[in-house]
Amino acid sequence: MEKQPHLLLWKAVFVLIMIGLGFGIYAGSKSIDYTWRWERIPQYIINTEATTVRSPFDGTATIEKGNKLVVTSDYGDDPLVIKKFDNLLVNNGDLVFEGDPLVEVENWNIGPLTWGLVMTLQLSVVSLVFAVVIGLFAGLARISTNPALRYLSVTYIELIRGTPLLVQIFIFYFFIGTVLDLDRFTAGVAALSVFTGAYIAEIVRSGIQSISPGQMEAARSLGMNYVQAMVNVILPQAFKRTLPPMAGQFINLIKDSSLVSVISITDLTKAGREVVSSTFAPFEVWFAVALMYLVLTGALSWAIQRLEKRLSASD
Amino acid sequence: MTNMTDKSIIQARNIEKIYPNGCHALKNVSLDINRGEVVVIIGPSGSGKSTFLRTLNQLETISDGTIHIDEVSLTDRKTNINKVREEVGMVFQSFNLFPHKTALGNVALSPIKVKKKPRAVAEQEGRELLKKVGLAERMNNYPSHLSGGQQQRVAIARALAMHPKIMLFDEPTSALDPEMVGEVLDVMKSLASDGMTMVVVTHEMGFAREVADRVVFMEEGELVFEESPERFFSSDNPRLQRFLGQVL
Repeated sequence: MEKQPHLLLWKAVFVLIMIGLGFGIYAGSKSIDYTWRWERIPQYIINTEATTVRSPFDGTATIEKGNKLVVTSDYGDDPLVIKKFDNLLVNNGDLVFEGDPLVEVENWNIGPLTWGLVMTLQLSVVSLVFAVVIGLFAGLARISTNPALRYLSVTYIELIRGTPLLVQIFIFYFFIGTVLDLDRFTAGVAALSVFTGAYIAEIVRSGIQSISPGQMEAARSLGMNYVQAMVNVILPQAFKRTLPPMAGQFINLIKDSSLVSVISITDLTKAGREVVSSTFAPFEVWFAVALMYLVLTGALSWAIQRLEKRLSASD
Repeated sequence: MTNMTDKSIIQARNIEKIYPNGCHALKNVSLDINRGEVVVIIGPSGSGKSTFLRTLNQLETISDGTIHIDEVSLTDRKTNINKVREEVGMVFQSFNLFPHKTALGNVALSPIKVKKKPRAVAEQEGRELLKKVGLAERMNNYPSHLSGGQQQRVAIARALAMHPKIMLFDEPTSALDPEMVGEVLDVMKSLASDGMTMVVVTHEMGFAREVADRVVFMEEGELVFEESPERFFSSDNPRLQRFLGQVL
């Protein structure tokens, strides 16, 4: 009889190893005499601190009915009217000087790390759309019978895959960006989508070539032209087959987007660097940044797994 | 022998096919097929019979010769081959159903996309065709959930959905388990009795004897012999005798 593996035992081993790793990190940080200041991090994600509104000029504060604060200027400037606030810091009739606190407004301010996350998300989504379009056409051109299209596609793929993304970003920003007068964001998106498109092209090509030639023949024998056969028969099947490698490529794109911080786009990585310099808490910040990337990539791979499940109905 | 007049819906004259690697697959093959005729092509593997069949809807291009389908020349550059293919249905040895579509989806796809029929109309016609091939119960199954015989019957219904004038069968039962051959041949027989023009490449001698109006024997790229089934199977042509001795 086959020996039953002790599943529970090995799961316990896994948990023990993870605990050991965690302890190792803790012990390591102790040994280098580092003070963890996790409490400094949340304010850079969401800032709930009240902001204080200060008087822009010398004048007199009056509280009018309806809880409205009006500050009349001594020098004839337009009066300052504040209708919504949470804490009043002056009394009716107080004389105020320029810079004096008037009221506190409690609101949720989005911190720089969250702005960075939003920028990374924007970069990734826009680049992804362009990359898929570029990759689809380059992949189709790669298997075309027309030599001009085929060689163009091969040249594109080899050029892009053979040079580092960082160098491409510099070329896109400093050379192409200058020639075509592109802003940072456009140059960043262009570099990322052209880079990822080359990899997607190869995925598309292998996906199409993995479909049996009989499928194309059957579609053509039914009177479909090449484009109809591609769109209705070949690509839907290739799409399903290429989902796993596509997912990997999309995740790579999100991670690669961190490189555009070199052209001063304030993405999550650059935001992290800025926060480090104002908190002096590099360990905490980089762990937090890593976790935020993980949330993005994790959500994407979850979504693609869901899609795969839905498409598996015909298996 | 049939007379080669304007009655022929398929006119293939002096077909030559030489592959780029130098393989001479078809040597001066001529064959005329009349409207409503069932022609069975037999021959050893590698004899060029499948290649010849595939030239009739230009899945295989020809190196020389002429093919006319319903008086439209396939070799004319101005001919829209997609239009011709709408008239010529094809059934493959390996079924080639679209795995991402249900049986009904397979049958309705081309009428919707090529003939621009409204989905409801195409699906209604598809349901009737699937009923005709005995698959009314299996309409919403994906090909992976159908047996080989059922898949091949869906493939026949799919080809019929374009209302072709001619049906080409490329060894339609060769990939089937023996117990499923009958159900496919039955569908083909009923199609023949409906008056469909059919060209069938097969190893099913029983089908040839029973259904064919004419049997053609090919060997090494040449059309060796064509005759009515009675005379064909009693012929004393030595090449044919050798082949029949091997398969029967």
